[in-house]
Parts: sequence; structure tokens; C-alpha cells
Amino acid sequence: MSGARIKEKEINMMNLVLNVQKSFPGFRLAADVSLTGERVGIFGSSGSGKSTLVAMLAGFLKPDYGEILLDGETLFSSARKINVRPEQRRIAMVFQQHDLFPHLNVRNNLLYGYNRCQVAHRSIHLDSIVPVLQLEELLERNIGTLSGGQQQRVALGRAILANPRLLLMDEPLSALDDALRFQIIPYLKSVSEHFGIPYLFISHSLLEMRLMTDTVLAFENGTMIDKTSSEQLSRNRMGQSPVGYINLLQLDDMTERDGMCAYRWGRTELLLSAGNSGTVDGLFELSSKDIILFKKHPEAISARNLLECKVSELFESDLKIGVELKCGDMKLVAEIVQEAVRELGIEKGVVVFAAIKASAFRRLATMKI
Amino acid sequence: MFLDQSDVQAIWLTVRLATVVTAILLVVGTPVAWWLARSRSWVKGPIGAVVALPLVLPPSVLGFYLLLAMGPNGPVGHLTRALGLGNLPFTFWGLVLASVFYSFPFMVQPLQNAFETIGERPLAVAATLGASRMDAFFSVVLPLSRRSFMTASILTFAHTVGEFGVVLMIGGNIPGVTRVASVQIYDHVEALEYRSAHNMAAIMLVFSFLVLLALYVWRTDKGKRD
Repeated sequence: MSGARIKEKEINMMNLVLNVQKSFPGFRLAADVSLTGERVGIFGSSGSGKSTLVAMLAGFLKPDYGEILLDGETLFSSARKINVRPEQRRIAMVFQQHDLFPHLNVRNNLLYGYNRCQVAHRSIHLDSIVPVLQLEELLERNIGTLSGGQQQRVALGRAILANPRLLLMDEPLSALDDALRFQIIPYLKSVSEHFGIPYLFISHSLLEMRLMTDTVLAFENGTMIDKTSSEQLSRNRMGQSPVGYINLLQLDDMTERDGMCAYRWGRTELLLSAGNSGTVDGLFELSSKDIILFKKHPEAISARNLLECKVSELFESDLKIGVELKCGDMKLVAEIVQEAVRELGIEKGVVVFAAIKASAFRRLATMKI
Repeated sequence: MFLDQSDVQAIWLTVRLATVVTAILLVVGTPVAWWLARSRSWVKGPIGAVVALPLVLPPSVLGFYLLLAMGPNGPVGHLTRALGLGNLPFTFWGLVLASVFYSFPFMVQPLQNAFETIGERPLAVAATLGASRMDAFFSVVLPLSRRSFMTASILTFAHTVGEFGVVLMIGGNIPGVTRVASVQIYDHVEALEYRSAHNMAAIMLVFSFLVLLALYVWRTDKGKRD
């Protein structure tokens, strides 16, 4: 991201106590969690109760029973009959659809929440958000003339300018295509880092959870089934996922070599097919299923990348074994079956060779995330 | 002169009546339309039907019941006398009240449609940005539905200008007080003053056409720009 750099702030911690129940015909949501964090994810498939939870947190839906406390303040309590109105909760939202006001231009959309925020709470101003989100050229434009990515950036800026104490991001990327999605992620992350606002990120995408959050609450059929790190959640779900575990690699310093692209990955070098990688640095994904392990150095192999690695951890996920490999100063996760573990004698500390085809990498973003 | 003194008086009275009725209905009709657009109550259906009743009811029927209600023995009559306002029939304000009922659906229905189209979402978004419901209504809903407000106001104004049956039942035919343009034309025809009737009728025709032309041109132009 090129825009002017603003001094980064420590992200404030959110202290959230969520102990609520809500029933609809055929569906019941029950959540009982107390968490402290900066970047928290709410993960679950469609119908898992994510949206219901968000609506209760924002104040649009009244829980049947329980309480919600944010930073010590009671937002809802059925016992004490407290239900703070949405506009008084200081919880801003970024929605799946940008939901900008079409009768206002970009500047006035940005200022909508700012103008309604108490002066005492106004620590983020228009002048500070515009360069971070690169909105300088857009301020006087009408909403209808903006691209999808620009609209989502304006929506993000508008939410931040409301100077909230918590930002709710309700599937803000799901309406965007892949290219736009990975353009927006750095903005989503950077505003939180620049302005110190903690966020709750809601999504059904494990990859987005990995990129956006530290702690994840996983929901299924209205019940919270897990509270873990986004990394651990990805590992736990590796065996169920058709794409396995997704390794995220930040590759830099590209040079062309024999029609291929050589990238620096930490202290290691990786060769990528030119067609797959394009010709610039960025973030790449590599499936754990695309890594083949050898016990000894193979004599001849078509894969263009052969890395000598040390097994640093083994984990199990749905009958599959994840092998965490330490390759120089970087880590990779490969996925193999139980039988292969036995045959290759793989255990912690063992040295193996990881073969990766040059075409196995897929670019996610052209910028650092 | 093209129009005589009584014609000018009738036209001025008509314009005054239509302006007052439109202003009152903007204030009264907007919350009713909002409630009809948002409510999930079972009474929404019956109330919606009552609001739409003047669309299908013969004006003489509506005028008859309003006359009874506003009369000395009617509930409205009792109330107005208790408030020291006297009896409303055959007064300007009696006409205003009757016209408000008669033109109610012309204000409420376009607004209700607009509010239903806008939906709940912009209000929720505004709430997350610190706007109360009232604030969000004025800062988001009102600007988004301005076309419908314009349409509703024009329709209400034009409909009030053109009313005859209800006016005759409630207001009678008192020059300068209740004799509006449509009644004036009727008087001219009854007195076989066809030239005067032509003049007034032509004015009403041109006025109605221009109002509708302006409305359609504006909506088409706005649609293109949107």
C-alpha cells in the first residue's frame, strides 16, 4: 500500500462478555464466552448463527435471555432490563454490501458518523483516514461512480470515522471477487493498526480468518464449538477441507530465471511458473496437499523446488496427518496419510525433503498482507 | 376581462385550500405512511383499507358521512364546539378537514411505497453510525424518498383542486368561503353562462395537464439521471 504513513497506535483490547440465548422456530443460538482481544473472528458456515450474534451485539436483535458487556459496560441484560440502543453502543459496522448512502457524496458519507460522534470521542479525523484508505481523489465523487473496491474502502472509512470502540466487520469481503478481496484486506487490517480500534471479523472463510484475526470463535448450528487461534482452527479443519491446509507465503525480490520466476522466501529461494505468479512480489498460497515429502534426497525429480526441512510438529485432523516443516527460517505444513508417516518414519526432529511443483503456487495479493 | 371577480375569488380559494390540505397531509400522512410501511401489526390491513377508502368511495358518500360527523350532533361537531371552534360545515376549515380525508390516500400511498422500497437497512446502517431513528429518518430516508414526496404532494394538490362532490356536501356554495373553482364552473353552467364556464374549465384543464406534464417530465428526467 503506498499512501502516506500515519503513526500506528497500539490496538485497544476489547473486553467482551457474551452470554446470550435467542430462539427462532427451528433454530436456537446459545453463546457463552468471555474474551479479551484485538482481532477476533467469528467463524461458521451459513446458518451457524453468526449473523444472529452480530445483530444482537449491534443492538438490532434483542436476545431472549442473558447479557452482553463491552469494556465493562452493560449493553444488554435481561435480568436488569437493560438494552442500550444501537446508536448509543459505539459499535460501528462494515457490511457485506457497502451500504453507502447514495444521496451523499464520498466526503459526506465519510463524515456521517463523525458528525454524530460526541466531540470528546473524536480522535480520528477525516484528514487522517483519507491517506490511509487512499481516498484523496474520490472525496467529491458520487457513490454510483465508484468501483466495488472503492465503495468498500469508503464504507470502511465511514465506520472508522464514527470513532467506535469496536468495529464489527460482517462478511465485508464476501461480495467481492478474489482480486478485490485481497486488495481490501490490507486496508481492513491497516485501519485497525493505524487507529487502534479492535474488531470482530465475521466470515465463513478460513483463509480470511487466517489473514484477519488472531482468536476465532467457531459456531455450528447456533452453538459455539471452539475458541482458538485462527492458525489452530485451520489446522483442525485441514482433513475436512478439499484444499487441505493453506500455506501463506510472502514472496519477495522476484528475478526471472530460465522462463521462471525466482522469489526469496525468508532465506530460501522458490521457483514459480511465470504464468502462475505474474512478475511482482506478493502473497501466495500453497496447499498442504501440493507438498510431497521424501525421506532421502531424490535423485531426479520434475518438481522445481526441493527443500531440506526439519519436522517440527505433527498434528492429526480427520485421519490426515499435518506435518509442520521448518525450512530455514520459515514454516510449511504438508499433509500426508498415516501410512506415509509410518513408512517414512516421520516424527518430530526428523529431516525430510519437501518437493513442490513450480505451478503449485497461487497468487493471492500483489501487496504485503 | 377574461375572468370576473367571483372566478378569481374561486380560483384563489381553491389554491389556498389545496395548499393548506397538502401541507397538513405532508405532516399527518408521512407518519401514517411510515407506520404502514414498517408495522407488522394485524391492524395494518384494516387501517390500510380505511386510508385507501376515498379512492373507491363515491365523493357524495364520503361527504355525507363527514357532514354527519361534523354536524351539531356528530362527534367531530361536539369536539369542535367544545374547543370553541363552532360548527365546521359550510366553513373554509370544514372544507379543509373534508379534503384532508378525501385526499389522504394520494399522499400516503406513494410515501408508503417509497418507505417500503427503502427498507430497514439504511436505518440500521445509520444507527451503527450513531444516528437515532428520527435523525436517520430526516438524514437518510427523507432525502432518499424526495421523489415520492414530490409526487405525493403534486397528486394531493391536484386532486384537491379537482374535487367537487365532497366540497359541495360539506361546503355548499358560499362565495369567498367555500365556492371553489369546480363549484364555480357548476354555477356558471347552471346559469347557462357557457363562456364563463369555458374560461374556468379551460384553466382547470390546462392546470391539470401542466401539473401532470411537469410530474412526468421530471420523473423521466430524474430516472435517466439516476
